[in-house]
Amino acid sequence: MASDPLLPVPISYIAGSYFLFSIDAVTYLRREHHICGVLTGTLPQIPQQNVFLGLPLKLMPEEARLLVEHGVACIVDEVKAQREGMRALREADRRKYRRELESQGAHAMRLQTNRKEQQREAALKRVDAKKTAAAKKKAAAAIAVGEAEGEGNAAHQLLPPPTVPPSYPLFAHLHAEGYYLSPGLRFGCQYLAYPGDPLRFHSHFLVVAADWDEELDLMAVVAGGRLGTGVKKGFLIGGAAQPRGDESGLGLGDAGSVRTFSVEWAGM
Amino acid sequence: MADTDEAAIHMPSQDASAHIEVDLSDETQDFRMLSNISFLTDGTQASIPKRGEKDFEPNPTLYQADILSASRQAMHNALAYPRVHHPKNQIIGVYAPNGPAPPTLHTSNLESIAEGSLQPDAEVPTTTAATTTTTVGNVHPDACVYIANPKSNLFKTIGQADRWNRIWLLPEEALFMLERGSLNIHWPRSEVGYDEDEEADEDESNIEDSGIPMSLQAAYAAFASRGGLNSERFSVYTGLRRLGYTITRAPGWNDDGEDATGIEDSGLEDGRKQGAGLAGIYSRFMQWLCPPSTNTALGPVAGVGFHRSYDDIYSKLSIIPWYDPTAAPQAARSPAQAPYRVVFHVYKPSTPFKKSAPPPPDFRIAVVNARAHTSVPTLSQLGALLESTPLDPPTSEKMSRQLYMRLRHGYRNVILAVVDEGVVSYLRISEAAFGKEKLYKQKALANKTQYRPKPKPKPKGR
Repeated sequence: MASDPLLPVPISYIAGSYFLFSIDAVTYLRREHHICGVLTGTLPQIPQQNVFLGLPLKLMPEEARLLVEHGVACIVDEVKAQREGMRALREADRRKYRRELESQGAHAMRLQTNRKEQQREAALKRVDAKKTAAAKKKAAAAIAVGEAEGEGNAAHQLLPPPTVPPSYPLFAHLHAEGYYLSPGLRFGCQYLAYPGDPLRFHSHFLVVAADWDEELDLMAVVAGGRLGTGVKKGFLIGGAAQPRGDESGLGLGDAGSVRTFSVEWAGM
Repeated sequence: MADTDEAAIHMPSQDASAHIEVDLSDETQDFRMLSNISFLTDGTQASIPKRGEKDFEPNPTLYQADILSASRQAMHNALAYPRVHHPKNQIIGVYAPNGPAPPTLHTSNLESIAEGSLQPDAEVPTTTAATTTTTVGNVHPDACVYIANPKSNLFKTIGQADRWNRIWLLPEEALFMLERGSLNIHWPRSEVGYDEDEEADEDESNIEDSGIPMSLQAAYAAFASRGGLNSERFSVYTGLRRLGYTITRAPGWNDDGEDATGIEDSGLEDGRKQGAGLAGIYSRFMQWLCPPSTNTALGPVAGVGFHRSYDDIYSKLSIIPWYDPTAAPQAARSPAQAPYRVVFHVYKPSTPFKKSAPPPPDFRIAVVNARAHTSVPTLSQLGALLESTPLDPPTSEKMSRQLYMRLRHGYRNVILAVVDEGVVSYLRISEAAFGKEKLYKQKALANKTQYRPKPKPKPKGR
């Protein structure tokens, strides 16, 4: 079962993107903080498909910023941390790491052979092919290694919170209202807002942010309304009510000043 | 397929078009569906699970909470699955942080005596890898992982071999293979802070390999920003690889690599330019015969006189100039600018692919980051992008019959992959030539070939 990760969760900053590599962190943030991100990795058990994807989890800058502001995560310069971590690795640690991986591999092999024997007994005719396996538990074990030597120099590898697009207040507002948000490009909007975990619920809103004094093209409103109605979702437009003059303090993340409007195509 | 059809029947069908294509990867799928696939067993079947049922909105029932926690547990289990390698047939790559380099051998080794011709290369000291890129043969300078025992089907389309029978991988290839559990990348000794005194331990003839597996996390850190790769390009690369396409870097990958794009289309275009030239001579001859009187001040556009066929009139009425994509570009346009450059060549799984001599690609892809470039590309950006692709006229048999197919296929085409934080949308942009499709000639042809009494009222829908 999932064990809760140590807080704050380190978010890896690599090549301009924010990634999570720890499955425990992914499950925890999804369960407790409604942060889903987008899975971008290949699942090693079924690698030739795009329906179910695996680690790493890619976070939007907005999501990373929100987690940092809530104090549950910090941003780590992963490239630097890895390089220095490996350089600082001593022979003893190295041996231990290899032994750990090998024992995990041996465990996996035992599991597999056990299961195989059961299968063989159950259905002798079934041809089993297969690789028993020695193994290497990459993602999970790597976290352990990273933490093991990352602790000493973690402090100076922390990066400032991510810069976010101007739609961030709306994002923070909807998140505070309990919505799960994901990037909305597939439905032609900025964010998709889900009433619950996207694993179990369809999204309700296509979200587009606007500045308070921004001139909106009426065509864009009609187009959004029709688009939303076409996919059985509401078109939601919103933004921070006051001009964000005071950048200090909670100015950016102040979700209270956000107003939202939902548009439906009436089709009369 | 049967159940998507069923689903379409049961759904209140306001618009039938919404159900035509159900792309499962469009929305987050319930990971419980994945549990049907047994892990840690033989993967004889790996069919993609069916689309799960979802609820409309949360309610405080225990029932719903149970399903949700089961879904999350299934997702957790699926994602926590380890990558396992059999000790006998695992493929081990070694990370080469300084790019391609010849193998480093102990100078006292017997091998260096045996391979007399290779000795000068073998003498190159381990540390100066950057200077030796030319000696490795035709390996791409961005390659950063080499594999000494390349035994996998994947290497039919991935990697480049050097003179020592090692396969070198580009960063995206290495990362993709590592992710799918087909490759075990080891850290090189130069990166792990080896103590000099402990070289001796059970060395396996390779003094570069430290024997420490690289984690997925470390691999992302090492490769994801290397040699022009970025997370958007990698999303496109893995996404298409997972679907079975073969995908290689195009000459436009690097910002300064436009020299090769010109070469690419010159070969294809030669034959057609001539055709266009012949037609051009013919039309010039025709123009000389009957000079067009486009001056409407003196009379009707069609001209005064006898008109024996409608075609003449129509052709005289077409006074609006149009762009002919088959004509050779008069002036060299500014080269395609990033991000509107072709960075990937994509081949269908059915296209026979040879690494040594890649065929002309089935698709050309430019990758755009939706967060950095929020507006539609300008005409000059699109024009430059399309001009960097070879002419691809709609010539197949099916298209010669169907006007709409011809227009849609266009004369040049390119695919834009728009990436929004890991979500990829593909747009196909093609250069349609409406001016080349003379509708009046179409009608005349159709009337001649078959007599149609009346267009029958078609049944609505399909």
